Amino acid sequence: MHIADGVLPVSVSLAGYALTLAGVGYSLRRLDSANLPKVAVVTSSFFVASLVHLPLGPTSVHLLLPGIVGALLGPAAFLSITIGLFLQSILFQFGGLTALGANSLMMGLPALLAGFVFPRIRGRTRTSNALAGILVSGGGVLLAGLLLAALLATAGEDFWGVAKLAVAAHVPVMFIEAGVGGCTVAFLFQVKPELLAVQTFSGPRNEQ
Amino acid sequence: MAAQPMPAGDRPPLYSLRHLTYTYPDGTPGLREITLDIFAGDRMALVGRNGSGKSTLIRHLNGLFTAQTGECRYQDQPLIGALIPEIRLRVGMLFQDPDDHLFCPTLYEDVAFGPRNQGHREDEVDRLVRDSLTMVGLDSLCGKPAHHLSYGQKKRAALATILAMKPHVLILDEPTANLDSRQEAVFKRLLHEYTGTLIIIEHNLLFLHDLCERAVVLADGRVYHDYAFNDLLSNPQALREHGLDFTFRFAGRNRHYIGAGHHHHYLPTHDHGTEGGHLTPKDSGVPLIELQHYSFCYSDGTPAINDINLGLFAGETIALVGENGAGKSTLAHCLLGLHRGKGTFLVDGRPLVKGDWPLLWRRVGIVFQYSADQLFCPSCWEEVAFGPQQLGLSPREIELRVQKALAVVQLEGFDKRVPLHMSGGERKRLAIAATLSLQPEILILDEPTASLDPKSEEQLLAVLEALPMAMLLITHDLFFIRRLCSRTIVLHQGLIIRDYKTGAFFADNQLRTINGLDNIN
Amino acid sequence: MTSLATRTIVLTPSQGVVFLLCLLAPLLLLLGCRWRRRKILGRMSTPLDWSIPAIDAQAHGSSVFHCWMPAVKIGSLLCLSFLIVALHSLFWSMVSVLIALIAVHLARIPWQRPLQRLAAVSGLCALFLLVLPLTSPPRPGETILLVPLLEWLPLRLTGVVLALTISCKAATVALLMEPMFATSELSRTLQGFTNLGLPGTLIQMILLCHRYLFVFQQEAARMQRAMRVRGFVPRTNLATLRTTGNSLGMLFIRSFERTERVYEAMLSRGYRGTFPAAAKQFPTAKDVAKGLVAVLIGVLLLVLDRLYPVQWP
Repeated sequence: MHIADGVLPVSVSLAGYALTLAGVGYSLRRLDSANLPKVAVVTSSFFVASLVHLPLGPTSVHLLLPGIVGALLGPAAFLSITIGLFLQSILFQFGGLTALGANSLMMGLPALLAGFVFPRIRGRTRTSNALAGILVSGGGVLLAGLLLAALLATAGEDFWGVAKLAVAAHVPVMFIEAGVGGCTVAFLFQVKPELLAVQTFSGPRNEQ
Repeated sequence: MAAQPMPAGDRPPLYSLRHLTYTYPDGTPGLREITLDIFAGDRMALVGRNGSGKSTLIRHLNGLFTAQTGECRYQDQPLIGALIPEIRLRVGMLFQDPDDHLFCPTLYEDVAFGPRNQGHREDEVDRLVRDSLTMVGLDSLCGKPAHHLSYGQKKRAALATILAMKPHVLILDEPTANLDSRQEAVFKRLLHEYTGTLIIIEHNLLFLHDLCERAVVLADGRVYHDYAFNDLLSNPQALREHGLDFTFRFAGRNRHYIGAGHHHHYLPTHDHGTEGGHLTPKDSGVPLIELQHYSFCYSDGTPAINDINLGLFAGETIALVGENGAGKSTLAHCLLGLHRGKGTFLVDGRPLVKGDWPLLWRRVGIVFQYSADQLFCPSCWEEVAFGPQQLGLSPREIELRVQKALAVVQLEGFDKRVPLHMSGGERKRLAIAATLSLQPEILILDEPTASLDPKSEEQLLAVLEALPMAMLLITHDLFFIRRLCSRTIVLHQGLIIRDYKTGAFFADNQLRTINGLDNIN
Repeated sequence: MTSLATRTIVLTPSQGVVFLLCLLAPLLLLLGCRWRRRKILGRMSTPLDWSIPAIDAQAHGSSVFHCWMPAVKIGSLLCLSFLIVALHSLFWSMVSVLIALIAVHLARIPWQRPLQRLAAVSGLCALFLLVLPLTSPPRPGETILLVPLLEWLPLRLTGVVLALTISCKAATVALLMEPMFATSELSRTLQGFTNLGLPGTLIQMILLCHRYLFVFQQEAARMQRAMRVRGFVPRTNLATLRTTGNSLGMLFIRSFERTERVYEAMLSRGYRGTFPAAAKQFPTAKDVAKGLVAVLIGVLLLVLDRLYPVQWP
């Protein structure tokens, strides 16, 4: 779920923007200029993946993917997610433009955390990788849900009910995404393990 | 076998490669000890099987890869460091997938990218962009984003992005893959007009025929031969050795003669009518699937196919031909129930009712043009078992079907292999196996020969010839049509304009011309 | 009793119907759009639930917005949006919706896209409209609405007003997005952001990402189609998760491979870390004047909102 315009207090929106811009600026400076176009192209595939809807009982949910993006991109994940959310906002109105900063934090921070945790826990076997994938995917969604609730709660006591509901709504998504994330990681481990081994765009500046 | 260098005269070489060796980071050898001179004005074909190092070699020629051991010199300067960015502005490189070249928001920006990097003034850039777009016939589309173009247009646009830079050297990686003959002819004309040094990687030796004067054969990362192009063509043994032997295409003619009114098979397995073509077996009077007055429009209202009347009978093999964009794939998708149009859809002579649509896939299988779209499992076994698993069959039955399907496509023992790491030809056959395991009554193949090397084509042909079910073959490949199909259907702008015996089709020069097999529009 | 006591308003049946319609409007819009889309998709093999719209399909026009320099347009409308989301009262939020509607009308773009945007925000708005009236914390002196037949469900007026205010603000900005982004080509619009001080590399990344959305969307669609013709039907079960996981993995592998190829193609055409920039533009007095008007409207709204915080018209 993305926050629409007009929900958050202006101060929170602006603070979100400030933090996001700082984060993006940091990523841009830290990343090798050769990697920027690559991050952009990969981001489009994450965007497309997040459009896939999976049935959940009578309704359907779409994937949020902060965990996987984090695991694959590492520190570049925040930049990638911000670009993705900006495009979702201007193309589909998923998430308001004024709330873009808050939305980026909500999805980007779990992704950064996933990027930090994943290489440390993934181990060497297919099973341990899959488990790590499940953990970061599910955990990423849960954390995004909690951040969403926290952001909503800043809007005042009236929103606490909605905030609780939002967290509750993230729980089924969390299970689905944990499953998909685990399978994706297991698949990558079998087919192209180097994508998991080096967080492709995070290494030290390489010669080009 | 040592390389036989072309007589070079006294010209200094443009590129001189000495003992060039390249190993990929994962340890796969790419090039071994390549020694080769390329001269200014050379028109060179670079041929060899998939995986023989051709792509690795051309990447050294504009500094995408730098020499690990050995040397790569351009005009007698080693191609390293500061020379590389400079070289790239003079050496144009066209990769296979045009989408990789078109990374800007509009076609104009894409073509302007190179000239701007060359440091031209904006008015000069504008002139170069317009000139090169006019040259490839896309000047009217210059404000469009790339995703609005058709595949052939994209391919030409990608060429324009490079021609706009006025390169001294033009390197092309499989320029004709997935193009119909009309587009191929356009490419050939453009390459004829180009006067600089030309290096082309291509399997289609017929395309190269009057374009290249020199042929360098690579095998296992080595220069195996360095011929004058015509010498290569006249040396069938060398062709066969390198999996380049497209002559099986001509050899077939002797056994499979099609003349006016006659049609013989090498192995006479079924009856023939007096006027050519196979006779429909008498006991299957009702087609497996029949479309009557069937039309389909895209959601934006563009008609894709119009008033189609078509029946597919058990055991027959039909060719579906037509220029790019004639609606062939759309028709195939309609037969699968992926698109639902207006008109009557009969299965076994009975109209399809609403609940039957989702079950059509059990009877009709399709092998898509790009294997990459179809292969998404981590192992071949899982790939082939995927369909039967959806059918809910017992594990024993699944195992049986998987093994049978793998055997039919000559991939026994590939169970554990990762589809992504297999060669193009193997992947194509795996995709066929994945469909065969569903035991369809009709198999649709969309451009099965696209981007295969001749060796893989030959294997594919053997597999297809042995398949018993009804087949619909969408292809531009006249040879495959001749060998496999009894009936040919010609689609033009969404309409079936001919449905006749293949023999009659081959006799019909005019229609072949209309339908992009020679020329169109 | 003091004035802090709870006030109860019982609505007449007709008032009740109108009130409920207002409350449920976003939900109805959402369901309507879903239904329409499903009707279209039913005939197509589009396996993805959303196809990617062309944002700048209407980029060529002659309206006030079309001939407005993108940088100034984006800057001032973004400013306006922020001023609007700062509104507190329902009445002025409704006025802002009206202003946004006028803006869309002035931009002379078809109403389909603005409606789609409204549908996209209506999910969240519906959530607020349904939940806030029930979950607002009790306050002294508050008003409770009782709708006929639904007397067992007392609605708190604060929550209702708050939810409606939010919905109005969300709708306003959603509507403003069209004049903001649809009235010039995307590349020019985004170029405007660089003039506002965002780094050019970021803008190029967004454009690249946008370009390859279409490529990967096609790839993903073809992959899903291939799964479908082999009998795959997504369900709520583990096999579906596994298959989806595999296909996403494949999509990512293909995208990583493509990045390398795209980058090689860029290098081959002389890329050295920066995109060659097109010529710079400068705003005319007219551009600036339009921008000032937009910002002034926002400031005026905000001032009126704070001075006269009217909730009901």
